[in-house]
Amino acid sequence: MSEAAEAGRPEGRKIRVVVAKPGLDGHDRGAKIIARALRDAGMEVIYTGLHQTPEQIAETVIQEDADAIGISILSGAHMTLVPRILDLLADQGVDDVLVTVGGTIPSRDVEGLKEAGVAEVFTPGASTEEIVGFIREGVRANGSDSGG
Amino acid sequence: MERLFEGIPLGEVSTSMTINAPAAMLLAFYVLVGERQGVAPDALAGTIQTDILKEYIAQKEWCFPVDPAMRLVTDMVEFSTANMPRWHPISVSGYHIREAGATAAQELAFTLKNGFTYVEHALERGLDVDAFAPRFSFFFNAHIDFFEEIAKYRAARRIWAREMKETYGAKRPESMRLRFHTQTAGVSLTAQQPLNNVVRTAIEALAGVLGGTQSLHTNSYDEALALPTEEAVSLALRTQQVIAHETGVANTVDPLGGSWFVERLTDEIEADAYDYFRRIDELGGMVEAIRQNFPQREIGEAAFRYQLELEAGERKVVGVNAYRQEDEEEMPILHIDPALESKQLERLARTRESRDGAAVEEALQRLKEEAGSGGNLMYPMIEASRALATEGEMVSALQEVFGTYSETPVF
Repeated sequence: MSEAAEAGRPEGRKIRVVVAKPGLDGHDRGAKIIARALRDAGMEVIYTGLHQTPEQIAETVIQEDADAIGISILSGAHMTLVPRILDLLADQGVDDVLVTVGGTIPSRDVEGLKEAGVAEVFTPGASTEEIVGFIREGVRANGSDSGG
Repeated sequence: MERLFEGIPLGEVSTSMTINAPAAMLLAFYVLVGERQGVAPDALAGTIQTDILKEYIAQKEWCFPVDPAMRLVTDMVEFSTANMPRWHPISVSGYHIREAGATAAQELAFTLKNGFTYVEHALERGLDVDAFAPRFSFFFNAHIDFFEEIAKYRAARRIWAREMKETYGAKRPESMRLRFHTQTAGVSLTAQQPLNNVVRTAIEALAGVLGGTQSLHTNSYDEALALPTEEAVSLALRTQQVIAHETGVANTVDPLGGSWFVERLTDEIEADAYDYFRRIDELGGMVEAIRQNFPQREIGEAAFRYQLELEAGERKVVGVNAYRQEDEEEMPILHIDPALESKQLERLARTRESRDGAAVEEALQRLKEEAGSGGNLMYPMIEASRALATEGEMVSALQEVFGTYSETPVF
């Protein structure tokens, strides 16, 4: 059985991940490395590019019918931008997208982000292997939960 | 800005401003603050970064497409050459290129090529190379590979001097001298065992000094976690002071000159840089290479390679993939009060209410007209600053004429 079928999605469909850079933060080294690692791991990666508004990101997630989203923030604005993206997705009735965040996130904010609906937060030192594994497992679990 | 410099006499200090895409507006503000303090532009000393090419390549903060952005840079070079002899209108920066993942050779090559591109634009404007080139300055990274970094600085001086003399016809030695600022590598700092970063920063700073840097910024040990605390910043400053006053390493010019190893590394990295110059020229120059994503792609490849080496354990980073420590204690970090943002917004709103709205409109209109006609935009920007137009208003006005920029990212 292929991974796609296991995840309850149409046969042959790859995991679709949106890698997003919200706000004025121009640090894209990490986002691009993650995007490439996810692609090399066989996923379909949509990288939003820089300077995106939460509205643009939510729109991309919906348009691309994404299974997961990786939000990269190194500007310190994560407690403002991430909940806004989550709210916009919820407003549109999107509740089955695996949301991950990466960047310089102080540990005291990690809990808050998770309470807001973020599945995992990856901080400096996280390996691409770990991130790829988390997204693969998380999307698979989401797929079987929704029975989709 | 006037509030920022309250009580600081601009004629007696030198100011360095790390600003790029809207650098021209910030320079206009600075000139205006000087004017209000009774200090003429020719008495203002300092440096403004202004290096827009490396923004498209690496730091990724832009306001306009490449061509009008280059025009603004050249306007600043022209304006300060004529009016601000103590000012450095540009600091050509490799720092951000390196932080984005470039190798030392890429940092060297792309930075110098950017520098030559600014020189070429100023020459096309009709400026005399010996009038503006002495006020060019540079800014390099100090990464952790000690000898490679020293070789990089030495090669940078050699290449700049040769090209300024032979290719661009400079006659004054000052035009051939590459003067540079150095900052230790933010990207070499680890969130794990953060005190180790004090050691990394000291070694990197030493490479900068041995390589001949004119000024130095040492990072704080907690910067992989957040903006630094007062304590971490003080220790970073003390690190510089120990190197400057206790070690004696600053007493000799080019102390590693003649070392077989450093000389060979210098030759090698110089050859690598020339190889990149050739490839960029084949693409039609740096502006065209940026449009074709060439430096962006090269840097992305190098960053990905670095990550793979790290994950494969081929490259060791203490505390991250070697000598790890479980149950690390958390370090107290700086938290920024979110109220600061609303305070600043209130101040901005008050300024907008108290100024003469019609005068602002008129000044912005003149700025747009000049943008369309091709005159030096520093003058209408200083006028607009006098009318208390904001940076955002000037950028928006110019975007109506110039448009905006968006990249097609490669990964």
